[in-house]
Amino acid sequence: MSLLAIILLPFLGSLCAAFMPANARNVEAWLAGTAALATTVLVASLYGDIQAEGVLRASVPWAPSLGLEFSLRMDGFAWVFALLVAAMGTLVVLYARYYMSPEDPVPRFFSFFLAFMGAMLGVVLSGNLIQLAMFWELTSLASFMLIAYWNHRVDARRGARMALTVTATGGLALLAGMLILGHIAGSYDLDVVLQAGDTIRAHAWYPAALALVVLGALTKSAQFPFHFWLPHAMAAPTPVSAYLHSATMVKAGVFLLARLWPVLAGTEAWFWIVGSAGLLSLVVGAYLALFQRDMKGVLAYSTISHLGLITLLLGMNSPLALVAAVFHIINHATFKASLFMAAGIVDHETGTRDMTRLSGLYRAMPITATLALVAAASMAGVPLLNGFLSKEMFFAETVFIDRPDFQRLGLPMAATLAGMFSVAYSLRFIHCVFFGRPARDLPRAPHEPPGWMLAPSALLVFACLLVGMFPAHTIGPFLAVATQSILGASTPEYSLAIWHGFNLPLMMSLAALAGGIVLYQLLLRRRADTVPLLERLDGKRAFDFVQTALSTGSERLLRILVSRRLQVQLLLIVVFALAAVLLPLTADRAGWTLASPGLPDPAFALLWLVGGACALGTAYKAKRHRLAALVLSGGTGLATCLTFAWFSAPDLALTQLTVEVVTVVLLLLGLRWLPRRNDASAPDIPTSTRLRRWRDRSIALLAGGGLGSLAYIVLTRPAGEGISPFFLEQALPLGGGLNVVNVILVDFRGFDTLGEITVLGIVALTVYALLRRFRPAPESMELTQQQQEHSAPPPDTDAVLPPGPMAVPAVLVRLLMPLALLVSLYFLLRGHNAPGGGFVGGLVLATTVILQYIVGGTVWVESRSRLHPPHWIALGLLAAAAAGCGAWLASLPFLTSLAWHGSLPLVGELHISTVLLFDIGVYMLVVGATVLMLVALAHQSLRAHHRKPARAGEE
Amino acid sequence: MNGAELSPWIALPAAALLVLGGLLGLLGALGLLRLSDFYARIHAPTLANTLGAGCVLIASILVSSAIAERPVVHEVLITLCVILSSPVTAMLLMRAAVYRDR
Repeated sequence: MSLLAIILLPFLGSLCAAFMPANARNVEAWLAGTAALATTVLVASLYGDIQAEGVLRASVPWAPSLGLEFSLRMDGFAWVFALLVAAMGTLVVLYARYYMSPEDPVPRFFSFFLAFMGAMLGVVLSGNLIQLAMFWELTSLASFMLIAYWNHRVDARRGARMALTVTATGGLALLAGMLILGHIAGSYDLDVVLQAGDTIRAHAWYPAALALVVLGALTKSAQFPFHFWLPHAMAAPTPVSAYLHSATMVKAGVFLLARLWPVLAGTEAWFWIVGSAGLLSLVVGAYLALFQRDMKGVLAYSTISHLGLITLLLGMNSPLALVAAVFHIINHATFKASLFMAAGIVDHETGTRDMTRLSGLYRAMPITATLALVAAASMAGVPLLNGFLSKEMFFAETVFIDRPDFQRLGLPMAATLAGMFSVAYSLRFIHCVFFGRPARDLPRAPHEPPGWMLAPSALLVFACLLVGMFPAHTIGPFLAVATQSILGASTPEYSLAIWHGFNLPLMMSLAALAGGIVLYQLLLRRRADTVPLLERLDGKRAFDFVQTALSTGSERLLRILVSRRLQVQLLLIVVFALAAVLLPLTADRAGWTLASPGLPDPAFALLWLVGGACALGTAYKAKRHRLAALVLSGGTGLATCLTFAWFSAPDLALTQLTVEVVTVVLLLLGLRWLPRRNDASAPDIPTSTRLRRWRDRSIALLAGGGLGSLAYIVLTRPAGEGISPFFLEQALPLGGGLNVVNVILVDFRGFDTLGEITVLGIVALTVYALLRRFRPAPESMELTQQQQEHSAPPPDTDAVLPPGPMAVPAVLVRLLMPLALLVSLYFLLRGHNAPGGGFVGGLVLATTVILQYIVGGTVWVESRSRLHPPHWIALGLLAAAAAGCGAWLASLPFLTSLAWHGSLPLVGELHISTVLLFDIGVYMLVVGATVLMLVALAHQSLRAHHRKPARAGEE
Repeated sequence: MNGAELSPWIALPAAALLVLGGLLGLLGALGLLRLSDFYARIHAPTLANTLGAGCVLIASILVSSAIAERPVVHEVLITLCVILSSPVTAMLLMRAAVYRDR
């Protein structure tokens, strides 16, 4: 349970932090600090259990039917990493309280900070590969938001975008790799995957899985050649750089490599891919760090280099190297975070991080300078500090590596070279900023920061010293627990002593120290501002180039493949559909025979003759006379309704009838806004146009005829064994209704219906919102001819009847209203057992309402109606949801129908079911949505009407 | 009970009404086809067809009451709807014609 709390606490804190006022800096810091500290204590308290049991597990069922569960797993390695994340988080929160200025919107900062912490703990503690990938992406997102925290700055936004693009691309590759791993192992459970190392390494897909997983890890850990995003991420506030971009998030990559070490490592491919990326990052990163002007830039490249060291150790395929890697992960986090804090303090107190301007700060801030000095010494690998120990282990590994000749010689030399660079940039970092003449032209006069701002840095430096001097007593047990959980029985013997005698690694260390000092002396003489040799190696330029190439390439592709013209798009779609249907026909012609239709009833044949004529007439008239086409299409719809009724589908017939009416009204309202056709027909049509028309005509005939015959063939074949018998048999016993269609809609498939009516409500509101901003085509903008000629005065809303010739129809239509209401309620109530239902009833009522509008006029009707369609939509949804939730009262699943059968005085025997409430919800929503859309459309002409006087006034 | 067992007292008037209704409908349709201008034509369907529909509805009342052996007057509702809606349609059509001929 406490495992779950470890993940949930930061996320809860994040949620609380997000809702605080913008100036609550202290409360925010207290909240974040408490959450982080509590998490730290929780993690630390699990140490005993980890020692006793080895692995702790917790899981919450998520979708048990799919075999998915939210599973957490903590072993020694995960424990060490979780403690690192939580403890660092606590320290950085304390630091950030003093670093962030009162003007900064801190809720956003602390909210994303805690969310990142939760996500990172999720990565560390995930017991499932997919879940790990999910948390992995969450850390990328949080990092994006935090880098872009000062979103008014261009470099922050650009750096955030770059970081997200690189790490999220890697995350995608990681997900693919995880899917392959899970597929090979047969389970996504981490325990199972860790056991399946031999199977995975022997599998044919192993190279693919390895490449994808390593791609994810290298992008996250900013390893060569994906290292370029990290220096640009330094636009983030310094606490973020200290926490995310040195201590934790960038360690996620090496964490993953170490986590999957027992599964993936041990092959040549692993050695070459991981090892070479690590070596290149180690050397190139250290080299580039020498020439940075920005303090944080030095630290960023040094982070790349140290992560390269860890990656190289992991790539060496030796258990001892893994121990060194885990050790260095911890050491690097302590001294690098402390250095970042020092850089932040300098930036905060002087206003600049430019190393060419800073100088001699030792006098102004002696404590900061001392702390930075010790941390930098640890980074350089000076004896008696923790950096020395892990670096010594690294040197030893490079010397004793069991590889053929040139690698055996080259690796120690490269390592010493990187060590030299590392000493040189550490020296430069300290010497340049804190020693020499006191700087004069600083933006602010430097002085020591508040004590609490120094405390986190001091604690970390203290840890560096303590581990450096008494390694076996401080870090020893934790390191043992961590490495044992990865390596199990094959954990090698290792010694954490400071003094191993005069051996080759010590010589290398001394050579690196001496070489570094010489290198720095040489560097001091140099005046040029460019990076020698590697000036042209700019990841950012490559990144920009790829991005530009992608967008111009896709534009070019779009220009070739895409047409804006609807005619062309339609043609392509139809031709493609035709080809897709013809393809299987050519392959297998058996079973595609047309059954003889037999002789139809003459009356039915006549009906279809009329319907077909109407359809043809619609197509013919659609071009020149839209109103006639609309009327004719209504005729086709009526023929369809009668066909349904003829073949005993009264439900369908009813629905089709009401839908047909509403559709015709909708199109009628829309007709007015269609642009006028240009009727001037050219006297002679060019041959190309003629040919095009013939082409279109034949394609249309082919497609239409093909679709018709396809439908006919399918319909005349014997129906397969479907699920319809189940519904027919169970509608009464399970659903309590005789109308099977309605029982399916409101009971068996009630959840689908709930989703559908929700969508309908959303669509109605969207149509309403879109129409509010509706700009008609310029040629249909003006008032219609009739409106212009009868410039009627604004309707008198107090009149009993609408004035003018519409008075008598208005009276008649008002009489129709109660009648229609009765009919619609009748359909609603009987729907469960006979044709009808909420949908049909709702449409009937909506039709009557719109009829009032048509006959009475919008203004007159609205002056006396209390109908608020949005309320109907809301009430309908609420009713349907309430009907669903009602089942919970009887502790049944959502939307289970409950029925009550009994008798009431006066009323008699009564059967009430929650299904009725659900159907009432459907009814109200359909009324609200339909009326809202139709009325919104009808209001358009009113708006144009209103606009006219205003325009006249301007002229 | 089906139509073959209806008593002649019901069957004969119902059949007569149905034939009359059909004739009226035919008359209305012919009028719509043959009469000279719009104002004349609109009277054929409105008058004749409403009457015809009334005949069919009365026949329906007779037959269904006889079958159910109790008065069945659902058709009154249909009558009401027809009486309410068809004049509205006719009036709107005529207004449009007046506008066009003005």
